[in-house]
Amino acid sequence: MADHAHPFTPSRRGFLAGAGLTGLSLLAAACSSGTPPSSGSSEATAPAGAAKRGGTLRVGTPAPPTSLDPVTMYDGSAIGIVQLVADYLIWLDPDFTLVPRLAQSWSAGPGNKVWTFVIRKGVVFSDGTPLDAKAVKASFDRLLDPKAKSAALSAFDGILAAGGVSLRGEDTVVFTLERAFSDFPYLVSAGNYNAVILKSDYAGNFAKNPIGTGAFLLKSYNASTGATLVRNPKHWETAKPYLDGVQVKFYADSQAEQIALQSGDLDALIITDPSVILATGDVVLDKVSGTAMTAFTLRVDKAPFDKKEVRQAIAYALDRPGVNQSIDNNIGQLGNDHLFAPLFKAAPTGIAQRTQDADKVKQLLSSAGVDKLSFTLTFDPPSKSYALVIQDQLKQVGIDVKLDQRSSSEFYGGDQAKDTPWLFTDANLVGWAGRAVPSQFLGPMVTSKGVWNGSKYANPALDAALTAYDAGSSEDVRKKQAEIIATALHEDVPVILSIWNGSVRAYNKTKFTGIKAHPSTYVDFSSVSRV
Amino acid sequence: MTRLLTRRLVAIPVTLLAVSVLVFLATEVLPGDVARTVLGREASDASVADLRRSLGLDEALPVRYAHWLARFVHGDWGTSYTLKVPVRELVLGRLGNSLLLAAFAFLLLVPIALGLGLLAGLHHDKPTDRVISVVGLALGATPEFVTGVILLVVFAVQLKWFPASAQANPGAGLLVRLDHLVLPAVSLVLLCTGYVARHVRASTVAAVESPYVRAAELRGASRSQVVRRHVLRNSTVPATSALGVQAQFLIGGLVAVELLFNYPGVGALLLQSAIDKDLPTLQAAAVVLGLLYMLIMLLVDVTYRLLDPRLRREVPA
Repeated sequence: MADHAHPFTPSRRGFLAGAGLTGLSLLAAACSSGTPPSSGSSEATAPAGAAKRGGTLRVGTPAPPTSLDPVTMYDGSAIGIVQLVADYLIWLDPDFTLVPRLAQSWSAGPGNKVWTFVIRKGVVFSDGTPLDAKAVKASFDRLLDPKAKSAALSAFDGILAAGGVSLRGEDTVVFTLERAFSDFPYLVSAGNYNAVILKSDYAGNFAKNPIGTGAFLLKSYNASTGATLVRNPKHWETAKPYLDGVQVKFYADSQAEQIALQSGDLDALIITDPSVILATGDVVLDKVSGTAMTAFTLRVDKAPFDKKEVRQAIAYALDRPGVNQSIDNNIGQLGNDHLFAPLFKAAPTGIAQRTQDADKVKQLLSSAGVDKLSFTLTFDPPSKSYALVIQDQLKQVGIDVKLDQRSSSEFYGGDQAKDTPWLFTDANLVGWAGRAVPSQFLGPMVTSKGVWNGSKYANPALDAALTAYDAGSSEDVRKKQAEIIATALHEDVPVILSIWNGSVRAYNKTKFTGIKAHPSTYVDFSSVSRV
Repeated sequence: MTRLLTRRLVAIPVTLLAVSVLVFLATEVLPGDVARTVLGREASDASVADLRRSLGLDEALPVRYAHWLARFVHGDWGTSYTLKVPVRELVLGRLGNSLLLAAFAFLLLVPIALGLGLLAGLHHDKPTDRVISVVGLALGATPEFVTGVILLVVFAVQLKWFPASAQANPGAGLLVRLDHLVLPAVSLVLLCTGYVARHVRASTVAAVESPYVRAAELRGASRSQVVRRHVLRNSTVPATSALGVQAQFLIGGLVAVELLFNYPGVGALLLQSAIDKDLPTLQAAAVVLGLLYMLIMLLVDVTYRLLDPRLRREVPA
C-alpha cells in the first residue's frame, strides 16, 4: 500500500490506498510563563483548549551535513531533531522570552557573576534515569571541555570556564562566571543550541543512543533518508505532546522539498527559505522577526576601507528596502549598521535609520579623495543573491564591485588566525545564524580581541561599553551602553547590516495546527495537534 | 571470448587502482577542510587541528593512501568522516537504491526505445519516422530536471497520482517503492529513449535495405516474418552498446534526478562526499561505481558477441 497520503483520483483508486489515522481525544494543554532574564520560575499548567491527540507529522528538512551529535551540531536540521528528543534548562520563545523547562527557576547573586539554577523535580530521561543536578553539571562540563570540540565553547568564551559549574545539593546547579554577565540565562538556554541536557555518561553516537528528556523518542535515524520519532510517554509535561510521532524526511534540494509540501507528501518544513517559498493552496507561512543576518564586512585596516568615509559611502549606497524585497521576500527588518536587532530588548531607538542617498555617497567619496571606487566582494553560495543585489545597487552610484564566489568549504576553511577568507578578505559577506543576545554578535565580531573580527575593527570605547553592558543589572544601564555601542558602529561602519532576516515556517493548514516559525528555526512540536 | 574475459578481468583491478589514486590526488587539490566541515566554522582552530590529527589528515599523502588501500582490500571501508557511519553500509545502501531506480527505468526504456526505433526504421522518411525522431531528439535535449519538474507539477501536485518523493518510508515493500519511482523513471525514459531509438532506427533502416531482407521478401516471406526473423535481431545488435552507455548513466549519473525527486542514490552521495572531502566515502563510491561501469562494459561486449556470430569468429584486437 502506498505510504503517502493524498487525495485519490478515480484512475489511481484501484492501485493506491490512503494511510489511516487514529481516533480523537480531547485533553488539557499546558502552557509556560515567560520570565525576565535575571530570575525565572514556572509552575503554570493550564488547559489550552481542545487539541486532537494522535497523528504523525511529516516534515522535510535538509540532510544534516554531519553526524547527529548534540555536542558538536551546528546545522538547523540536526538541531531541530535533537530539540525534539532532548531539552534545555530554558527554552527560547519566538519573541525571545525565556521559558523555564528543565530549570524550574534561576537567580543571580549580587553583581550577576554567580548564577543559581534549581532543577525541575520529577523529570526522567527516556531510559528511566531521573534528571538531577549532576546530569546538568556534566552537560555543561562537557561543553566546556576543549576535547569535546563543541561550538558552544565559543559562546562561553571569557564568560564561563571549565570548573565554573558546581553542585549545591541534588537539585541546584551554580555557575560561577569569569565576569559579570546579566544575559547569562540566555547562554544556558536554547539560544546556545548545544546546551541540551544529556545524561552524565553520554559518550557520543546520539543517533544510536538517543536518550533525552524531550517530547519525542528517536526510534530510528538514517543519515541519508531521515528520522522516525514517537511520543515520549515519560515526558515531564504529561499532557504533551499531542502527536503520536514525527516523521522527518531529508531533502537535498529545496525545490523538491517545496513540491513535496504542495503535493501533500509533507505536512511542514523545518527550515524554509523565505526568498522562494510562496503560500499557495493549503500551504501557509508562519513568519516571525529574527536575529539572523548577513554581515557585509569591510577591512578597516586596508585601503580603500581604511577611510571611514568610504565605508559610510557604501552604506549610503544601499537601498535596504530593496534588499529586503530581493533576498528576504520583505519579511526582514531593516538594519542600521549596528548589531542590535530590533528583537533585542536593548536595541537603541534614537539612531536615525540610514537610507539610500546618492548625493551623500558622492560627497563622502570626494571627501575621502576617492575618484573611482572598485573592490572585490568575497562570499560563499548562500550569499550569492545578496552579492548580486549589492553589485547592482552600487553600480548605480558608480561603484564597481567584482564578485568572488568561493565554495563554502573554501570560504570557511583555512586558519582563523591568519588566512581564512571569511575573516581575511578585504570585503566579504558572512551569514550569521540568529543569536539570543547581542553580545554573542558584538564580542566575537567587533571587539578588539574578537575571535571572528573580520573587519579588524578596534575601538577601546566600544570594548568598555560592551563590558559595562554585559555587567549591567538594570535595563536603563544596558540601554545606555547599547546606545554607545550602536552609535559607534553606525558611525564607523566596520560591518554593514542591511537587513535582519525574518524566519518562516511553511505548513499545510488543513492537517495540523500549532506549527510556529522560530527566529532561529528551532523546533518545538510538543503543542502541535491535528486540525 | 575466453581471451576477452581474461583480458578484462585483469584490466579491472588495475583500472580501479588508477581510479582510486586519481580520486585521492584530486581530493587533495580541492579547497576546504573536512575537519572544519565536521565541526563548523565556529569551532576553534585547536579543535579543528585536534580532529585533523585524530582522522589522520596530518599524515603524508602516500602514507594516508597506503593506509586506506590496505584497509580497503581487506574489506574495511572505514567510517565516513562527516556522517560517522560505516562507509560500506552507506555506499552499498545508496548503490542499492540507484540500482533499483536504474533497473526500473531500464525495464521501461528497453521495450519503448526498441519499439519506437523499429517503428521509425520500418517507416523511414515517413511522418511516423519524423515524429518519433523529432520528439525523441527534443526530449533527449531537454534536461531531466526540466521534464522532472513538469512531471512533478502535473502528476504529483495537480493530479496527485504519484508521490513527489521517490523515497518511500522505511520498511516499505517493493510495490510501494516502485510506485514512488514511477515519476523519476519516466523522466529518465523520456531523456534516454530518443538516443537509443535513433540507434535502433539506423540499424533497422540498414537491415531493411540489406540483400538478405530483399532475398527473404523475394522468397515470399510475409512482412511480419521478415521483421521478426531478419530485421529485429540485426537492428538490436547496435542498440546493445547504446543501452550499455545508458545503463552506466542510469546507475551513477543521476544527480539531478536524485535531488529533484529526493532519492538517496549513489550519484548524490558521490557529489556530496567530494564537496565535503569525505575521502573514505568518496573513494569507496568511486571504486564501486568504477567496478560497475566496467562490468557493464564487459556485459555489453559479451552480449554483442553472443548476438553477432561474426564477432565470435574474429580475433579480438
